[in-house]
Amino acid sequence: MPNEPTLGGLLRSQGVSRRAFLKFCSTTASLMALPAGIAPAMAEALSSARRPSVIWLSFQECTGCTEALTRSSAPSIESLMFNFISLDYHHTLQAASGDAAEHAREQAQHDNAGKYLVLVDGSIPLDEHCSTVAGISNLAMLKEACAHAAAVINIGTCSAYGGIPMAKPNPTRAVAVGDIIKDKPIVNVPGCPPMPLAITGVIAQYLTLGRLPELDHLGRPVAFFGENIHDRCYRRPFYDRGEFAETFDDEGARKGWCLYKLGCKAPIAYNACAHIKWNNGVSFPIQSGHGCIGCSEPRFWDMGGIYDSVAKGNFGDGAKLGAAAMAGAAVGAGAAVLARRKKTRVAEEMHGSE
Amino acid sequence: MSIANATTTAPAAATAAATPIFPSFEQVYQGLAGQIGMLRQMAPKPTKTDEKRLQGAIDTLIEETNADEAVWLESCIHCGQCTNACHYFQATGEAKYAPMRKMDLYRRVYQLEISPMRWWHRLIMKPVKLQDFADASELIYDSCSECGRCTMVCPMGIDTASLVHHMRSAMVAAELVPPELAALRMEQKQMGTVFGSSPEALKKLVETIREQAGVEIPLDKDQAEVMVLSSAVDLVANGNGLLATAKIMNHLGIDWTLRSDGFESANFGLLSGDMSLWKQQADPIIAAAQKVGAKTLVIAECGHAYPALRWNPMVSGGELPFEMMYMSEFLGKQAKAGKLHLTPFEGKVTFHDPCKTGRRGGAFDEPRAVLAEMDADLVEMPANKEYNWCCGGGAGIFLLEDATRLRDESFKIKMREVNESGAESVVVSCASCRLNFESGRQKNHWDKKVHSLVELVADHLIDDPASLPSSNRQAAGEAQGARP
Amino acid sequence: MSLLEFARGPAIHAALIIMAAGIALRLIGVLVLTRGADLSRPRDAFGNFKGYRTVFSRAWPSGEFTTTTRYQTVVAYLFHIATLLVVLGIVPHIEFITSLTGLSWPALPNFLGVALGTLALASLLALIGRRLAKPAVYNSTLGDYVTWVIVALPLLTGLMAFAHVGPRYETMLALHILSSALLFAYMPFSKLMHAFWFIFSRAQSGLAYAHKGVRI
Ligand code: SF4
Ligand code: SF4
Ligand code: SF4
Ligand code: SF4
Repeated sequence: MPNEPTLGGLLRSQGVSRRAFLKFCSTTASLMALPAGIAPAMAEALSSARRPSVIWLSFQECTGCTEALTRSSAPSIESLMFNFISLDYHHTLQAASGDAAEHAREQAQHDNAGKYLVLVDGSIPLDEHCSTVAGISNLAMLKEACAHAAAVINIGTCSAYGGIPMAKPNPTRAVAVGDIIKDKPIVNVPGCPPMPLAITGVIAQYLTLGRLPELDHLGRPVAFFGENIHDRCYRRPFYDRGEFAETFDDEGARKGWCLYKLGCKAPIAYNACAHIKWNNGVSFPIQSGHGCIGCSEPRFWDMGGIYDSVAKGNFGDGAKLGAAAMAGAAVGAGAAVLARRKKTRVAEEMHGSE
Repeated sequence: MSIANATTTAPAAATAAATPIFPSFEQVYQGLAGQIGMLRQMAPKPTKTDEKRLQGAIDTLIEETNADEAVWLESCIHCGQCTNACHYFQATGEAKYAPMRKMDLYRRVYQLEISPMRWWHRLIMKPVKLQDFADASELIYDSCSECGRCTMVCPMGIDTASLVHHMRSAMVAAELVPPELAALRMEQKQMGTVFGSSPEALKKLVETIREQAGVEIPLDKDQAEVMVLSSAVDLVANGNGLLATAKIMNHLGIDWTLRSDGFESANFGLLSGDMSLWKQQADPIIAAAQKVGAKTLVIAECGHAYPALRWNPMVSGGELPFEMMYMSEFLGKQAKAGKLHLTPFEGKVTFHDPCKTGRRGGAFDEPRAVLAEMDADLVEMPANKEYNWCCGGGAGIFLLEDATRLRDESFKIKMREVNESGAESVVVSCASCRLNFESGRQKNHWDKKVHSLVELVADHLIDDPASLPSSNRQAAGEAQGARP
Repeated sequence: MSLLEFARGPAIHAALIIMAAGIALRLIGVLVLTRGADLSRPRDAFGNFKGYRTVFSRAWPSGEFTTTTRYQTVVAYLFHIATLLVVLGIVPHIEFITSLTGLSWPALPNFLGVALGTLALASLLALIGRRLAKPAVYNSTLGDYVTWVIVALPLLTGLMAFAHVGPRYETMLALHILSSALLFAYMPFSKLMHAFWFIFSRAQSGLAYAHKGVRI
């Protein structure tokens, strides 16, 4: 496809200055912990990068991830870059539909075998009838699409870890991509939704350096998910002093105290929200007064109520303990009664024989 | 029995008024020591099979364990505090004498037989063997005088002494009582005597006292306000004890009696741990006191007799028409009531509370009131009253040859305490303490004097009949004895 | 299931149930045993009641023993008080207790939590140090050492988690909850039951001695 536009061309046509683009590159480079001097080279490489073949599969999902990426008020470099790469197949965004769309996907898979990327949002139901696209079950489509892929990038917690569809009682028997695809490199970019910069950062690195980023034990790029939100939270001094908001409209909440008691899961959540923030760095949930729900963590839906603090176990209430104590007391009383009987018997035997 | 004869006949050679009728306590101690040495050969041999002995020991513990004992056994946290209190540990520094070790075997039996977790313990613990009891003998007898001092420091308040006492009961069933105690237990169980202290020996002694000291002892009266007990030590060795008692009673003009059907304070049931013998010994005394209509039963200066009678858990004290008192208690009450007038006592003196009447008996003030009556310069030992250090010879340990080292070493603590008090003499009110003090005094060439409270009082009576002409002496004694 | 989920879920679940049942079993199984009777006449008719004083008075050693027991007493007190304050005083613990019981109370500032936790751990070290240094005094058993480790672990992991040092917080938190679960489950079957026994044990002795007119 000789007439394919380059990313640079696309950005220029959208009125993005070279200066802004360089800034994007250096931000990405620094976030991804690449050497600082790489930014111009990265800009160079990205500007002239050919549109990579990307197949975006959407399964059991809410489209929030795509929305997060594309619905920023002023089109960001991230969204533009995303537009640039995602043209081969995307249910939501592509113009083609029906057979034509599926054909495009098959064509891309065929033409770029071994080179294309598969991006997935949404989880895959093992009860295959629960979600199909063009009559093809999600499971079948995933397997087919991944067969000749270079790598898989999971966009959002659903494809990365199962997400909401997998939450108890998991009616569709949803699983994550990694549960099915075992033989391809997989990068998880979780979040509900994930941070746009994390998505593009991974892609940018792949495009420029030709390799996938370093991952943590949950398959997430360390560059974006290596930091604990709580460690980066600007409310942390209040936490350390033990100053907590007790409700969403109390004195503490107004003063911007720590949201731990209101269920903030940041102490066990790893994401870049606290330092990159959302909406072009405007804010992030904690700054807006709501605790982190730990959306970038596996099974976050099932880890206790959103407004239950991290410390609360998933115990329900103490009634069980009462019941356990009653049972224990009953056994104890039984043991004591038996001991008393034995004592009486022993006493009779001893004094009877005397 | 031989000693009884020796001591009661000895004074015949010394009839002169100035010469003591009875041997000095120093001689008493030496005579008794020889006698005790012979006990070991007289010890009965086990009669039951090993299985029966073991089962008996375990059954005894099962029978004697109530919630109190169970809680104590459950409570120990191995904090080691009790080692600070126990004279046997302090004297030796040896781990095995640490008080908490003395309940280990009991706890094992408890865990296997009674604890609510017994089924679990049976899975993980080895069964108890007879040898375990044999090995525990040193802890149960030799190195625990059941003094209760460790309870005073234990943060859990564990009453180790009573746990050890239950273990002694088990040892009786296991036929593992140390030979000395076993011999005396057998004697008392079968013949009702201790060292041959029979009613006949009592009559003889009473006779001797009347004839040679001219002091009348109203033996076997049908009715009396006060019934007084004697003890084997008095009967077989230290006639001065009974003599002093009689002098005081007569001096006070009390309507008292000594009963040949219930006079023995010593109770080798309590000391060995034989509950049935304990009761067998206590019952006739209680019966005799009721028979004579006594208002007061005075227990001779024999420490363990106090718990054996006064605090006997099997004797329903609330229903008895009389009060039981230890000799020191009786004397103290008389002094407090202003009835006892005594000549002054010279020099600094300290009082040693026998464990059984002090910490484990509660008679603290009375002996001190007696000393106050003598205007004595009473100085207390650094640890006194509830905190008094045991002399090391209590609970029968004085009799045990195997415990000699423990006894002697721990007595040094007592000497240190007395020395620190600055006293020149020690008053004790327990024959066993006194013997042990005497032993320690002789072995260490200690320069302190040791007095018995009752003998001291007798020596300090004002208007002592001894100052009267000898012809009146007897009459005075009789007159006082007969006063209602 | 991640370690943290396991800890916060089944592990702590099972541990608390074992603890509740175990404590009830052991307490009732002992307290319902026969009661011995002392028929002898008490020294003073209402004197026995005074024996209950011992439950409180034994909280501190009597003058006679202050010197000899000073180290153990002071350090043990430091340990108990610091531990109690940490257990009941810091926000995560209160949150946990609230989730079980609905009760809540004001928390200590976090720096105090760290300080108290450190103090508790330091005093625990001081106690084991002495235990090791004086074997004859303590006559330690395997149970004593196991108990020490099981008590020390939640303190150590809790301190690390609370102060956000060491491995990632969720790992530390999971380890802390797991070690606490171990402590809860072990508690009823160990000498840690003294948390309950001390009342009964002291009262019994207090009564027995008060019966004879002795104040212990
Ligand atoms: S608001 Fe959340 S992230 Fe911020 S300090 Fe509090 S607990 Fe930590
Ligand atoms: S703050 Fe927490 S819940 Fe919110 S987006 Fe970030 S990781 Fe997800
Ligand atoms: S009762 Fe006395 S002799 Fe026995 S262990 Fe306690 S302190 Fe030692
Ligand atoms: S002081 Fe009490 S709790 Fe401590 S070791 Fe001794 S008996 Fe056990």
